[in-house]
Amino acid sequence: MNQHNLQIEAQFRPEVLERVLRMTRHRGFRVDDMEMSTAADCQSLSIRVTVSSERPIQLLSRQLEKLMNVTRVETHLMEQPLKQSA
Amino acid sequence: MNGAQYIVQTLKQQGVTQIFGYPGGAIMPLYDALYDGGVEHLLCRHEQAAALGAVGYARASGQVGVCMATSGPGATNLITGLADAMLDSIPVVAITGQVPMAAIGTDAFQEVDVLGMSLSCTKHSYLVENVENLGDIIAEAFEVARSGRPGPVLIDVPKNVQVALVEPRATVPCTTAPNALDEAALAKARAMLAEARQPILYVGGGVGMANAEAELRAFAERSGIPAVTTLKGIGTLNPDHELFLGMLGMHGTKAANLAVQQSDLLMVVGARFDDRVTGKLDAFAVNAKVIHLDKDAAEFGKVRQAHVGIDAELQQVLPRLTGEHLAIDAWRDQCKALKAEHQWRYDHPGEAIYAPLMLKQLSEALDDTAMISCDVGQHQMWVAQHMRFTSPRNHLSSAGLGTMGFGLPAAIGAKLARPEHESVLVSGDGSFMMNVQELGTLKRAQLPVKMVLLDNQRLGMVRQWQELFFDGRFSETILTDNPDFVAMAAAFGIPGETITRKEQVQPAIARMLQADTAYLLHVRISEEENVWPLVPPGVANDQMMESKA
Repeated sequence: MNQHNLQIEAQFRPEVLERVLRMTRHRGFRVDDMEMSTAADCQSLSIRVTVSSERPIQLLSRQLEKLMNVTRVETHLMEQPLKQSA
Repeated sequence: MNGAQYIVQTLKQQGVTQIFGYPGGAIMPLYDALYDGGVEHLLCRHEQAAALGAVGYARASGQVGVCMATSGPGATNLITGLADAMLDSIPVVAITGQVPMAAIGTDAFQEVDVLGMSLSCTKHSYLVENVENLGDIIAEAFEVARSGRPGPVLIDVPKNVQVALVEPRATVPCTTAPNALDEAALAKARAMLAEARQPILYVGGGVGMANAEAELRAFAERSGIPAVTTLKGIGTLNPDHELFLGMLGMHGTKAANLAVQQSDLLMVVGARFDDRVTGKLDAFAVNAKVIHLDKDAAEFGKVRQAHVGIDAELQQVLPRLTGEHLAIDAWRDQCKALKAEHQWRYDHPGEAIYAPLMLKQLSEALDDTAMISCDVGQHQMWVAQHMRFTSPRNHLSSAGLGTMGFGLPAAIGAKLARPEHESVLVSGDGSFMMNVQELGTLKRAQLPVKMVLLDNQRLGMVRQWQELFFDGRFSETILTDNPDFVAMAAAFGIPGETITRKEQVQPAIARMLQADTAYLLHVRISEEENVWPLVPPGVANDQMMESKA
């Protein structure tokens, strides 16, 4: 099970977080940790999400890049994975 | 002008001339605007059929299909059609009425979270919160639906937005810039093609969606690579070419599957390694390297790792791939021999109608412009195997989602898209009943859609699997209580007849095609007929079953 950090930048829409999380679950990735912040002008938002899966991270990142309101996706392999829940 | 009138005006600016839909409470202002708005609207008798009608229209015409429905159940009924469009990459714009903004989230009458439901079955979706944004959202929705890898887009319009006053203004032009070609990847692909000894061209529905049939055929001719297609790729290549081996996969031709399994290079164009194509994935074309061309980079490595993936417009990249006839004569001879050895056989004993032969005869009675829509099941595979297609726009088959009930609405949509061409439905008795209410739509619109109903009084494909893999336990697949289909058509003013014997087939097809109205040809076939060949679950594609034993 690999763990990755995803940094996602998006235009602000009320449903963007929902789109990202739905895509993450459906493509076979578990959300282990997440933070979201909205820019001061409410035009954009940032999501940092830690996911784990047996699947290659590109399977998720390429799907996220296709979402219309997502402007950038960066992935980083976590060298010291978060402690697995029981 | 109000928001609803603005929607109609903007749709006209997008070139929309035909809408499929069904009215209701939360979309009444839009229907009022359509009353004298100058856009044709076809009243379907179920919102699912409205969405599938728009899919059929889009597939037959290459234009964006448009459907609309009211809030709540109207919108939920659209969802299956949108999922169908999503899986098959069909450009559709759906407009749904919604309860007023102030009522959203209060569990109002006919309120459902359509935006939330749309997330998994559309390419993109919008909730219009302000009438000022309507025009730009509609323009963007059409661009999203048709650009890149096409797909369905939903626009949810609350009732207060439909009635709000707005000053019309020009919408912001919305176009998508093509990606630059990856020259290094192109060079690598050319080198792989030059080195290949046993290459196969594996063609999917993406080629037709990209209007790149001419470029693909030119490439196939230039390179001389033997070719196969997916279900949705049918019609893309010249069906009469000596190096065209037919459809691959679960019910593909034996020649196609054997050649693919022996190949050392798969050049995959606008296809996605669907599980119905690959069978057991780790046994699929194990010695083949992969060049993958697609407009959707997310397909590269999703199922099968590509040695080279090129994200580009197919019209642009195919002419750049190779200028040479490849030196693979021995492989070409091998593929031609496979094709000659594994021809379809139509010498079926007895007087009963043999569906594959009948479909071959139907195909021979039609010209190359005819559009064939089908439903899902055994008849769908027989259409793919035994009818001849020269364009993917003429083969309307629910490939990815496998939506029973697809056929009749799709055939209606196709006829409206291309009224000068014959629109023929081939259905089964299970699927036909899934959207049978559309006989009312045919009656209303007086559309001369020809319907061939292959009736084995079974859910045939499930029955086949129960016979082969579930010890003959025919759980809920026996339909001996089917209605009298010819009488049912007659109730909608549609003539028809029933045939049961081989010698009746050709005269009946002639009568059907001579009719200047819709027509139902009800064909009784054996309940025990199976679709062959078949790749059973869990084995490689070269281990095809060809009979029960």
